[in-house]
Amino acid sequence: MIGPDSFILLLRRVRAFLVRDIRLTLSYRMQFFLRILSILIIVTTFFFISKIFVGFADPRFSQWRDPLAAWLTGLAVLNYFMTGFSSLANAIRQEQMQGTLESVLLTPISLPTVIVASSAWDFVQATFFSFLYLFFGWLFFDVHYQGSFVLALLFLLLTTMVLACLGILSASFAMVFKRGDPFGVFLGTGSALFSGVFFPTQLLTQYAGTTVSGISRVLPSTYGLDGIRRVLLEGQGLSEVWNPLMMLLIFLGVLLPFSLWVFGRAVRRAKREGSLIQY
Amino acid sequence: MTLTEPPDTIALSQKPERKSVVSIDHISKTYPVSFLRLKKLFRKRFKPPVEALRDVSFDIREGEIFGLIGPNGAGKTTLTKIIATLVQPTLGSVTVKGYDSVRNDEEVRRQVGLATAEERSFYWRLSAEENLVFFARLYGLSEIAASKRIRELMERFELQDLARRRFGELSTGNKQRLAVARAMLANPPVLLLDEPTRSLDPLAAARMRSLIKSLTTEGSRVTVLLTSHNLLEVEELCERVAIIGGGSILALDSPKKLRQFHNESEHIKITFVSADGNAVGSGLHNEELQFELSNTDRDDEWVVSLTRKAGDETLDQVLRFLHDHNALIRSIDTERATLFDVLESYEKEKDATNSQDS
Repeated sequence: MIGPDSFILLLRRVRAFLVRDIRLTLSYRMQFFLRILSILIIVTTFFFISKIFVGFADPRFSQWRDPLAAWLTGLAVLNYFMTGFSSLANAIRQEQMQGTLESVLLTPISLPTVIVASSAWDFVQATFFSFLYLFFGWLFFDVHYQGSFVLALLFLLLTTMVLACLGILSASFAMVFKRGDPFGVFLGTGSALFSGVFFPTQLLTQYAGTTVSGISRVLPSTYGLDGIRRVLLEGQGLSEVWNPLMMLLIFLGVLLPFSLWVFGRAVRRAKREGSLIQY
Repeated sequence: MTLTEPPDTIALSQKPERKSVVSIDHISKTYPVSFLRLKKLFRKRFKPPVEALRDVSFDIREGEIFGLIGPNGAGKTTLTKIIATLVQPTLGSVTVKGYDSVRNDEEVRRQVGLATAEERSFYWRLSAEENLVFFARLYGLSEIAASKRIRELMERFELQDLARRRFGELSTGNKQRLAVARAMLANPPVLLLDEPTRSLDPLAAARMRSLIKSLTTEGSRVTVLLTSHNLLEVEELCERVAIIGGGSILALDSPKKLRQFHNESEHIKITFVSADGNAVGSGLHNEELQFELSNTDRDDEWVVSLTRKAGDETLDQVLRFLHDHNALIRSIDTERATLFDVLESYEKEKDATNSQDS
């Protein structure tokens, strides 16, 4: 049980990481503005692609009546998912490459704090950039969203937490093996293909068979994205999105303790090897 | 004590007057750590293990500056990192103020500040002050406490004018001073200093030494473990010194005793003025003393060089003789064995053992 003092200390440390990362980001201003520009270009590109499909709406795919809205929610959420997968492994790896990981781990900071704090800024950035996908769609290309934004946010939060667990496993690999992280490769690219980011998952069953389409059912990102689209594009309420919500909670209940345990073991191993700062 | 005396005997011969703050108990460290099952499968492909530390034991007492010297690869850094909880020992245990470095690692980190000569341990695009603020927060200091402490340290290390400069733009010496300042952020009772004066100019190095010295005498007495290749610095600062080589403690004692036990003789040069130096030389021969006599650039100035066992009566005998023969003594220079000589002799001993083994 975390006491009020410990909680304040945790917040203080998370804030320290956030301030540090904001300052580091601001020292590379150009990169930040180029990223915003690239999102605008991507949204514009998808607007023109969506025009190819005008009048071709398939009644089977209710979330894809407006393909641009589906792609933009898919891209926004994918951006968030990728952060969940990779932010911690990247944070650890970057600290290893900079040589600062040892100095961070020299302070009396617990592992869960390192996990939360070192990826906090990535999530803040991801929230901002994901919002930009939806915002540019609404502002320039007349994309409309409906339903409860709070519910959509709950889905986003839950899915991100589940994916962050996979990110912790990924970071554990980075900690021990330094390179060759299978989670980033399979889950990162796999989510784009199997979770319905760019096309409805039903097409997988139709064209690739039930075995391949089964992959989409074991990916937490599929449930997260489905839930968010149901809320934002179809206007469904809590009772209608209960199933994907439950699935995400089950994923979280299993993956969270497991990933923390693995990460703790990975750090201990790196300490035994004396390879914390190697990369 | 002899050079071959086992370290445990040496350690036990010390009667600690103050309580032990850092206790190192039979530490061994072997690299690499292999995955046991994989090792069985691919036994031949694995690199043979390297023993970085072998059964190392000693205590560091409260308020003491303890020196750790040895050649490169002797195990100094590994030992320091084990105390700092960055590396786990293969065998044995380390306790800092009673906390075990593996089981209570978080608590040990609260007690320890580590300053290394590693420049990469800072964020190069952040300023000196921003770096310290970040680490102060990780140590749990509040905003007010952090800014007060940082101001104090900046002043103490003469870094005030560089506070807003990016770390990457600082000179190597200033980076090093900042590293020591960071280690002291949370006022830890134990400081681990890895070559703290390596890149400092002579004046800055002297100031750093005086600062290190002052840490152990001020109100809250800090215990310091100092590793350095600058043996004069170690002699000047440390109460006790451990010589580490090949992962083992070869000797542990005060610098003075290490020198004495290593070499009990000392070289003495006496410069004197006499109208007839040769007559003085003949007289000294009659006293049955072993010496060399030479004339300096000045006709009436002579140098008598001799080697004596430290503390014997030879020097007194020579001085009385010179005085009785109306010689005017200009100077007396004494050359004693230094820690460098001690270290060198251990290296030679090790090389001799290795060649015998091979």
